[in-house]
Amino acid sequence: MKADLLVDAKGLACPMPIVRTKKGMDTLQSGQVLEIHVTDKGAKNDLSAWAKSAGHEMIDMVEEGAVLKFWIRKA
Amino acid sequence: MKKRVAIIAANGGLFDAYKVFNIATAAAATEAEVAIFFTFEGLNLIHKEAYKQLPLPEGKEQIQQGFAQANVPSIPELVSMAQEMGVKFIACQMTMDVMGLTKEHFVDGIDVGGAVTFLDFAKDADITLTF
Repeated sequence: MKADLLVDAKGLACPMPIVRTKKGMDTLQSGQVLEIHVTDKGAKNDLSAWAKSAGHEMIDMVEEGAVLKFWIRKA
Repeated sequence: MKKRVAIIAANGGLFDAYKVFNIATAAAATEAEVAIFFTFEGLNLIHKEAYKQLPLPEGKEQIQQGFAQANVPSIPELVSMAQEMGVKFIACQMTMDVMGLTKEHFVDGIDVGGAVTFLDFAKDADITLTF
C-alpha cells in the first residue's frame, strides 16, 4: 500500500508509538496516508483507539513477525 | 471542542511518575487539553533534581532493569515531551511553601497555583484522574 509518510516506532514502548504517530500525522494533509511500524504489542489496540478518537480512518493492519504495520488515512 | 483531561499527581515515586506522564502524553497526543496539578510528594515529579532519580517502591529495585530493557523513555524525557505537546503543569503553592521550595527548584515552564486554579480547569474536564 502506498503511504505518504512512514513512521518507524519499532523498539519503542508506550506512549512513544502514539506520540510519534501524532507528530507524523500533524505533517500530513487531510486524505493522506500514514504508515506506522511498531513492535509494542499494546499499540495494536492503542493505535486503533487513537485513530477512532481523532476521527482518522484505520485502513489496514498487518503483522509481519514481531512487527505490526498500520496504515491510517488522515481525516 | 477539545476533550479536557485533569490530573492530580500526589505521589513521588518512579511508578507514580510513569502513570502520570504516560497518561498525560497519550492524552495530549489524542488532541486533549491536559493539565496536571502537582501536590505534596507529587512535586518530586517536576523537581529539577529529584525527577532524575525517583525512588522505586521498596523491594522492587530490580525492576529498574526492566524499564531499560523495555526501552521506556526516562522521566525527564517524558516531562519535556509532555510540555512540548502543550500539557500544562501547575505546582501547588501551599505545598511549595510548606516544603520551602520556590519556582526555581522546578523544571521551566510551570505555573504555580492553588487548589482553585486546578478546580477551575477541572470543572469542565471530561476525564479527571488522581495518582
